[in-house]
Amino acid sequence: MGLDDSLKGFAITFRQMLRKPETIGYPERKTPVFPRFRGRHRLWTHDNGLEKCVGCSLCVAACPADCIRVVAEENTPENRVSSGERYARIYEINMARCIFCGYCEVACPFDAITLENEYEMSERTRGDLLYTKDMLLAPHPKPVPVRSEVP
Amino acid sequence: MADYAPVDLTAEGQVEFELNGRRVSAPAGTMLVDAAYALGVEVPIFCYEPRLGAPIGACRMCLVEIEGMRGLQTACSTPVQPDMVVRTNSDIAKDGQDGVLEFLLENHPLDCPVCDKGGECPLQDRTFRFGPGRTRFVEAKRHFPKPLDLSSVIALDRERCISCYRCVRFSQDVAEDKALVMQERGAAAEIATLTGDQYEGRFTGNVIDICPVGALTSIPYRFTARPWDVTNTPSICGHDATGTNVELTLREGHVARVTARPEPNYAVEEGWLSDLSRFAYEGNRAPDRLTAPLIRDDGRVKEASLDDAVDAAALVLGRGGRVGILVGPTATVEEGFLAQELARTALGGARIQRLGIPGAGLDAIRSQPRAELGDIDGAGLVVIVGGDPPNQQSIVELRVRKARRRGAAVITVGPRPHALEPVGTAVRSEPGRLAAAIAALDLPEAASTIVLWDEADLAAEPDAAGALARIVGDRGASQIELGADVNGAGLRALGLGAGDVLEAAAAGEIDTLLTIHADPLDGPGAADWGWALGRVRARIAIAAYASAVTDASTVVIPAATHYETDGVYVSMTGRAQRLRPGATAPAGAAPGWELLIALAHRLGAPPPYRSAARAFAAAAAARPALAGLDYDVIGVLGAPVAAVTPVSPNGVNGPREAAGTGLPLVTTTRIFGNAAAHRSEALASVRTGAELVLNPAEGERLGIADGARARLRSPHGECILAVRLAADHPAGAAFATTGVPGAGVERLLPADRGPVNVEIEAP
Repeated sequence: MGLDDSLKGFAITFRQMLRKPETIGYPERKTPVFPRFRGRHRLWTHDNGLEKCVGCSLCVAACPADCIRVVAEENTPENRVSSGERYARIYEINMARCIFCGYCEVACPFDAITLENEYEMSERTRGDLLYTKDMLLAPHPKPVPVRSEVP
Repeated sequence: MADYAPVDLTAEGQVEFELNGRRVSAPAGTMLVDAAYALGVEVPIFCYEPRLGAPIGACRMCLVEIEGMRGLQTACSTPVQPDMVVRTNSDIAKDGQDGVLEFLLENHPLDCPVCDKGGECPLQDRTFRFGPGRTRFVEAKRHFPKPLDLSSVIALDRERCISCYRCVRFSQDVAEDKALVMQERGAAAEIATLTGDQYEGRFTGNVIDICPVGALTSIPYRFTARPWDVTNTPSICGHDATGTNVELTLREGHVARVTARPEPNYAVEEGWLSDLSRFAYEGNRAPDRLTAPLIRDDGRVKEASLDDAVDAAALVLGRGGRVGILVGPTATVEEGFLAQELARTALGGARIQRLGIPGAGLDAIRSQPRAELGDIDGAGLVVIVGGDPPNQQSIVELRVRKARRRGAAVITVGPRPHALEPVGTAVRSEPGRLAAAIAALDLPEAASTIVLWDEADLAAEPDAAGALARIVGDRGASQIELGADVNGAGLRALGLGAGDVLEAAAAGEIDTLLTIHADPLDGPGAADWGWALGRVRARIAIAAYASAVTDASTVVIPAATHYETDGVYVSMTGRAQRLRPGATAPAGAAPGWELLIALAHRLGAPPPYRSAARAFAAAAAARPALAGLDYDVIGVLGAPVAAVTPVSPNGVNGPREAAGTGLPLVTTTRIFGNAAAHRSEALASVRTGAELVLNPAEGERLGIADGARARLRSPHGECILAVRLAADHPAGAAFATTGVPGAGVERLLPADRGPVNVEIEAP
């Protein structure tokens, strides 16, 4: 290695010194994700407040990571939760297991579950990664910026 | 379900024909669907179900092209013919299938995501495999309010019904309760009961299994699980002695439902379950289930760990003194054998007995050739002696009705009226005089005769057992025991007697009593047992449910039920079959065989095996009746145990005279009257209590009105029952319901269920 090579290296270093840095100050600043980025799940309700999910467990069947648990129950006139005959009394996703493949969204016949863009889901204990129905029905408290699909 | 009948492709009398261009053969008379299925060609079906009798071709799904016949033919109702040319996959046949499926789905709501059948639905599966994939039907579908309760256990969703008539045919032709019918016609057609009442009976749940769509679903199972949430385990029903083969559906450690097996055991239950077998599983988590070991010390009760409880039990058993072991009727063969080994090795000289009917005089009839329940189908003459099979060994009823439909003569002899009496000729015997009635029988000639006899009734009348054995022997007939106890045959095969411990305990010769799944205070001879148990100093109970015995035991160790343990039950026809653990036992409970092995270890006599399979192998090696059996030999469908050594029917004593004064007591049983039915919430609306039934003439004589209460008193004990006056019950006897928890009719009986008279008076 001669003097030439050293000078080449220094040239690159000096050039970069004058550029804007590529790193960003996460978590104060976040990289926008693409709209089709598969992040945390969200369960949806109809406009009238009834849950779209009828507890059919098709997402469970589709899940390759076996991370969803659904226990269904029957709607009664006093306790009407979903628009169908049945509803999910328990709907849990184990986020420690989920691989965010999105098959649950594909399997759902009622568009009740979708994968949103949020990805900030670290917790202090494994137990906290068990997301319950109430958590999934609410929007994630840490929204992320989304970039437009086509650059 | 077993949609297609099994076909023996090697049988005599094969017919050659062409199937999809292939030269094949099948036995003459085989329906085309069955032959095709056996030959590897699936013709889709919905209404065809060979167990329901002759095919009716209602759904039109099985259309095939047969050369030389005009139009398409239903393969389910067309027997194979020599040289017929059949195409199931030609364009025209495919067009027919597509058309039928499109038609069936016109009014089908396609609410598969909320339907319990979704994922295990023949309509769903066959639509995927054979359907056209699209519909031209754009009009509004038929709508009904849903669901309707056909009964407290069956939900009816009329929109989903495809009018295949399977349930109607089951009700009309198999159970013969004639309750279900198809009302209205065309698109308005719907399943209903003829009277508009609830569909109630002993076998109603079977329509859930045979419904090819989600029209009839189980209410206790409603929305509990989906097929991919569960595991299915083949096992045996532990609620009667028939050895009904069932499949346990398990979700998250619990029994979610009980169904018939997809491949039924044609020798036993043929895929039909009684409602008790099907719905009693809810009792597995009943409030009286023992979930934590208890140790009683100076009147204080404290919960303990399993280890501590076994230690405490071993301490009590090991401190010397004479030990008695009582094995209950629901104990498995392994538990019985391990108890015997415990008595032989660790507790040298301990007395041991099973809780049940001694039946010393029954070996004469037991040693006659045995038949399986499946053999009843082809019998020419069926004789039922004593008992009440519809209520006690329910699935026997369906077999007898099937035999009758096939032309068999049915003769019933016995002291009590039951549901099979109207099926044939009924001979009413006087209580305690079965032998006379049997001797007076005029049996018609028949190619094959099967005699079904009731264990409890004949044990009380050994002379009748001898007379019956002679008839069976003379006619070259075969016999089926209508057993009273779930695993009575299995415990007998181990050589367990049924009297030793009671005598010894009553004589004060037992200091410590170990009960295994045994509750002597709730069975025959409860009064005698109560007195005998009072003389025992310490009691240890291994039991699944709380009872008066566990309440009075020093150490209580919760045991797994038959839903939760490995084991072998021997059915009343001598068929050894495997229980497979499905559900998880409560944290504080363990399978009985594990507990007994642990006890043997603590007592310093460790057995050389640590699994139920090895324990059973040891039992099979040690007991001639089980010779040659192990878990592999038993397999899925079971294997017969060795026959009873022949005993001459001659030299039997005369009738046993009943103790006490008053009317002879005839015990009756109700299928939904036992503890298992009373524990299950699903059976809440059909469960029955205990009653005293008298002929109106007797009621008048005793001055007791219908609906009043009466006190019954026998030399053994007394109880109070509600009275029903019924003209179909003969005078000269008192009919009282046994088996009902808390009713106490058993207190009237001696421990061996011998004959007894009762005095009846207003309380």
